[in-house]
Amino acid sequence: MHGYTGRILHVDLGSRAWRVDDLQPEIARDYLGGRGLGARILSDMMAPGTDPLSPEAPLIFATGPLTGTKAPTSGRFSLSGRSPLTGTILDTNCGGALGARLKGAGYDALVLTGAASEPTVLRVDEDGVAFESAGELAGCEVGEVTGALTGGRASTSAAVIGSAGERLVKLATIMVDAKRALGRGGMGAVMGSKRLKAVVVTGSGRPSVARPEDLEFFLYEVDKAIAANPVTSTVLPRFGTGMLVGVLGTRGLMPALNYRSDGRDYVEKLSGERLAEEFLVRRSGCWGCAIACGRQTRTAGGEGHGPEYETIWALGANLGIDELEQVVELNYLCNELGLDTISVGGTLAAAIELAEDGAPLPIKRGDFASVRAAIEALAHREGEMGEAAADGALALCEAYGRPDVAMQVKGLELPEYDPRGMQGQGLGYATSNRGGCHLRGNMLGFEVLGTPKLVDRSVVGGKAGLLIVAQHLGAALDSLSLCKFSSFALNEEHYARLYSAITGFDLSGQELLVCGERIWNLERVFNLSAGFTGAEDRLPTRLVEEPNAEGDVVHLEEMLSEYYRFRGWTPEGVPTPDKLARLGLYGS
Amino acid sequence: MYEEFRAIGRDILLSGLISSHGGNMSVRVGDRIVITRRGSMLGRLTERDIIETSLEHDDSEVALASTEIVVHRAIYAKTNGLAIVHTHSPHSVLRSMIEDEIVPIDSEASYLLHKVPVYSLPRTAGSSEVAETVSAALQEYKCVLLRGHGPFAIGTVLEEGFQWVSCLEMACKILNLRDSVGAECKEYREHGGEYGKW
Repeated sequence: MHGYTGRILHVDLGSRAWRVDDLQPEIARDYLGGRGLGARILSDMMAPGTDPLSPEAPLIFATGPLTGTKAPTSGRFSLSGRSPLTGTILDTNCGGALGARLKGAGYDALVLTGAASEPTVLRVDEDGVAFESAGELAGCEVGEVTGALTGGRASTSAAVIGSAGERLVKLATIMVDAKRALGRGGMGAVMGSKRLKAVVVTGSGRPSVARPEDLEFFLYEVDKAIAANPVTSTVLPRFGTGMLVGVLGTRGLMPALNYRSDGRDYVEKLSGERLAEEFLVRRSGCWGCAIACGRQTRTAGGEGHGPEYETIWALGANLGIDELEQVVELNYLCNELGLDTISVGGTLAAAIELAEDGAPLPIKRGDFASVRAAIEALAHREGEMGEAAADGALALCEAYGRPDVAMQVKGLELPEYDPRGMQGQGLGYATSNRGGCHLRGNMLGFEVLGTPKLVDRSVVGGKAGLLIVAQHLGAALDSLSLCKFSSFALNEEHYARLYSAITGFDLSGQELLVCGERIWNLERVFNLSAGFTGAEDRLPTRLVEEPNAEGDVVHLEEMLSEYYRFRGWTPEGVPTPDKLARLGLYGS
Repeated sequence: MYEEFRAIGRDILLSGLISSHGGNMSVRVGDRIVITRRGSMLGRLTERDIIETSLEHDDSEVALASTEIVVHRAIYAKTNGLAIVHTHSPHSVLRSMIEDEIVPIDSEASYLLHKVPVYSLPRTAGSSEVAETVSAALQEYKCVLLRGHGPFAIGTVLEEGFQWVSCLEMACKILNLRDSVGAECKEYREHGGEYGKW
């Protein structure tokens, strides 16, 4: 197979047995790789009701057919499993270089099951796997562990959990090379439940290409489009994703204080421009990326990676903190402990609101010291608040009898696009298969940036169709695996031609979107089998009842019924047998 | 939605892409299709010229819908397009009777379209053959050309479809001007000879 290695590595951490299975070509064609391949493997291996923190629960690292190739932004890979935070199927997509290393070692995917008897480091290379005791690295934080495991080794990357993952904190990330996060849904806790401190991958091989001459031309066109688009060629490289502080904040689309107010007052102090001027050491790109939106930054307290827009908002405006240096340092802290900054910010913002409503919680808005202490307590499950917050915003708010305060969907804390001003994004949050997430159908292009075309963000009618296209394209990109930022400049035609030239499998742009639809429906079926229903396609009451500064709320019900019809699902949100049959999923 | 139809229809007429009563447009809204009325003037659309019917099943409203509804339905069935624009663009039509595929030489169309295939069918309007051929071709390309008839383009909104047919028309106009001038154009693009691969 071209583009693929055709090999899937299965490792049982309990018995320390491993084997290599063939990747079936028809699976590759239908699910592409990455997120799609992960969803397929998970659905085949795991009963949806399985406890995500049990040894039986698989943890799947999956590359895409474009991972490690000359396609731009192709260093990515996906991690799939069942989320301990939400109970949904969950994939989390990551940059850096680990994806290219895994492909370089000769594997399309690494499937982990079982649980080790002691804290363990798993090494993977072209010869197979080796198991090592984590020894003194157990209990250490991300930077130290990553340095010890990768320092001085060529073509090596490490996926590491910090103390949060070891303590099964449901907001725990897996950090890749101490810079990039497998961020959302608490997959660090799944790794911790397997007593797996780190996965270290060494590999330098490159996948073969079916039609090199075609690929060269398509790459030329793709590079030209990325260079011509101001988002990918100018704004993201210069200001990182922090550019969204200005873009969204000035339009009243960046909320503050747990969605209780809008974040206009934070724009000047927390902007991407300011981050670049005062803290940027150098730009940082993932493997094979010309955009290089990553930020290597420095404060008086040290140097580290980030923050991105989501973090600037989550640990800044959402907590009432308007000192950018403090936000940068809180980001470093979360990276070290191995915590998802969006979920931590959402959880602590809820804690602040609870405290302001009278709950005895030791945290105050805008107070760096109490926020920092709360993050450490959360990561170590210390104290009453730390223990409750370690299971996320909903668990914390339920513990204090106020579940309405948690800004979450399906248990996943919301990110930072206020959907009261972006109706389509609201529908996207509600229908995301992994809960409150902006990346599972991002309407930023349609509703704000005008890519491919600008539509009225306050209008409700027609948003279902646009969102569905975005959801399918997003699923396809996560499966190829390419960075979503490339889609500001490229479209499905570009992606399909790259895929066809690399793999030799002829695929049209529309067929690529059908692959995305197949993956989306498979994920939906998994969630329904795990007990979710259309009743969970909901938004927090605040967003549908409490107007923003412009007087808008999300008109979810109207969009949701259109969305189900558009998808060919029942009014209850269940894919029909006919729909599943058309996608080759009948029986899933 | 009416405002979008009205504005794009007016632009299509003013761009010279249709005659007074030519062309048609539609938008998919879930399991419904909103399409221009048969015989309507795209340059003077009123709310009565916008017909809503089922995406898959005929009902009485189909009596009012564009003759090309069968083509539009087939396109929506096979693609993720949410809007369709069909025009009778003169330079594109002329070029379609000369070549089997349009490979633009101008910068904008090279960048946006790369290549547009041409399909030749004896029954050019509203036939099942057109529906089958055009819908299949639009799985591969955003804009395709029917010989002697005109382009069909898909987009997420009408404006996008309009952009593709407008860009194609400009590309064909430049090709036709080149031929009428009779001069050989100098290549300025890297990989200029490879756009036919798209």
